[in-house]
Amino acid sequence: MDQKTIRDELRGWILERSGATPDRLERDDQPILDEGLLTSLDVVEFILFIESIRKEEVDIEAIEPEVFNSIDALVEAFFAKAPAPMESALG
Amino acid sequence: MSPASSDAATPSVSLRTGFLRSYDRDPSAIAVEVAGESISYGDLHTAAARLATTLDALDVRAADEDPETRPPLTAVFGQRSRGVVEGILGALFRGDGYVPLNPTFPIERTRGMLERSGCRAVVLDEHGEKQIVEVAESIATPLLLVLPHRDDVEELAAALPRHRVIGAGALDNAGVHAGEWRPEPVDPDAIAYLLFTSGSTGQPKGVGVAHRNVNAFLTSMAERYSITPQDRLSQTFELTFDLSVFDLFLAWECGARVCIPTQAQKMLPGKYVNESGITVWFSVPSTAVLMSKLRMLKPDAYPTIRWSLFCGEALPIELIESFAAAAPNSTVENLYGPTELTIACTLYRWDPERSPTESELGLVPIGDPYPGMEAIVVDEDLQAVEPGETGELLMTGTQMTPGYWRDAEKTAAAFVVPPGEQRVFYRTGDRVRRPEGKAPMTYLGRVDNQIKIQGYRVELGEVEALFRDIADVDVAIAVGWPVTSAGADSIVVFVSDANTDLGALQREGKARLPGYMAPREVRHVDTFPLNSNGKVDRKALLAMLDGEG
Repeated sequence: MDQKTIRDELRGWILERSGATPDRLERDDQPILDEGLLTSLDVVEFILFIESIRKEEVDIEAIEPEVFNSIDALVEAFFAKAPAPMESALG
Repeated sequence: MSPASSDAATPSVSLRTGFLRSYDRDPSAIAVEVAGESISYGDLHTAAARLATTLDALDVRAADEDPETRPPLTAVFGQRSRGVVEGILGALFRGDGYVPLNPTFPIERTRGMLERSGCRAVVLDEHGEKQIVEVAESIATPLLLVLPHRDDVEELAAALPRHRVIGAGALDNAGVHAGEWRPEPVDPDAIAYLLFTSGSTGQPKGVGVAHRNVNAFLTSMAERYSITPQDRLSQTFELTFDLSVFDLFLAWECGARVCIPTQAQKMLPGKYVNESGITVWFSVPSTAVLMSKLRMLKPDAYPTIRWSLFCGEALPIELIESFAAAAPNSTVENLYGPTELTIACTLYRWDPERSPTESELGLVPIGDPYPGMEAIVVDEDLQAVEPGETGELLMTGTQMTPGYWRDAEKTAAAFVVPPGEQRVFYRTGDRVRRPEGKAPMTYLGRVDNQIKIQGYRVELGEVEALFRDIADVDVAIAVGWPVTSAGADSIVVFVSDANTDLGALQREGKARLPGYMAPREVRHVDTFPLNSNGKVDRKALLAMLDGEG
């Protein structure tokens, strides 16, 4: 799964869980915690979701709370090894 | 004693008194840690005095206004920030009670709370600021909106021409006499804080807690827990949850510090405990469940904690055993109490040898009433049941609040004089077993249609009222599901109109309810199952959900 797909998956999960409309989360650097799009009530299921798409367990003790601040921070913390999106042939 | 804090010399007569006493003792001590910042009692005192004098100088209340319609309350709109702490103290320094508003709540709900409270002044932090245009633009009554964190408020003032908006500059100008601030006497029967709880008719109920009530509570707690200035109390609760009053004001009563995790830090509570050196942990059991699921309740994980306290929902035995092992140097207690009885009014100390035999339904007992509080257990006719029998818990005493905010009807229904009694008791709606001999009181569930989700009290009737409205149907049924020993994980709503767009209904529900009340699913049923009384059979709906697993 490339990083663009991962970002779309994360955005989709957060929007569905929060019931927010897509315009509430247009950018990947938007603060998802401060804007109430993700809360501590969601954290267990969210981590399970992250584990399901990265196919690897998350080491809770090794992560910092700030990784939940934005989609950018999530990708950097959990999916740094994922490939960048393929450039379009129609580029 | 410093002349600035003269009411600190007397026993606690108002909610601010403990703070003032601790400020007098050591103004350089740290009162609050939040977002990487340590704030001293002295700095908080200065900021609160400046706010209080500014609010007085710019009072939007007219002198001849009826105090019944313009109550002495100031709203504080924000979360987990220096600004909200200053706002709360600023309101109390002024002699007002505070009304917390939560930026994670839907705009409409916040607006309703603000309007119903009658507040004319609102102190905002950066989180509240983001929503204030939407909240306040349709409010006709002029408000004073104070943004102590903001220098330039021109844009906001232009967007809200009906209201007066001031920032840090105006605050400094108006508060030039902050150094001369002196506490005016506060009526012990005046409201210290006004909170809104879920209401069965679709409208949140306001509960005004008097200074007299909360001071009785704090006096009991300070004595029991022997908090010292070296202690660090966690604040896991939002300000709209009355348990937050314990964290803030018990810490300040004793010169200790309260540690407020940010939203990000709340995601990993175990990490926060160790990084902040928490010594007094207080949370709903659901937070401990979260820690358990995150594999954060390993033995000896939290050696600094000396008190592990839980309240807000039923506490399962397995959970308390895990937490006790993770915090082995702590004494563990289960507190119980509705907002109407001021935060908590019974407690039980966990004993790993004795307690499992005293527990019922796998839940830790709720124990005995606080000093000054009295409990009776009654049947449907409000007659006391025999020892060992079950019934509804009614309580009275120093912590019983005056009733619901401007709602005589609901107050009369919940605050009653049982047969043979002279005093008013509050009906908790909780089913308990009346203790036999020295046994502790045990909690057995709700007698009405109220459940707990993640520690929040939810009237299913409120959710149903909303869905009847937005789905335009006669019947909508909400159930808590999956059921847990502490309440439920979330809500599922059933409607019977096949033409309804269920997805749209769910989105609308999420937009209009706080996250913990918003249904995880909205379902259609052809006909509602009925029980022998002809009422919708909720158990059958739950069985249907369970059957699908």
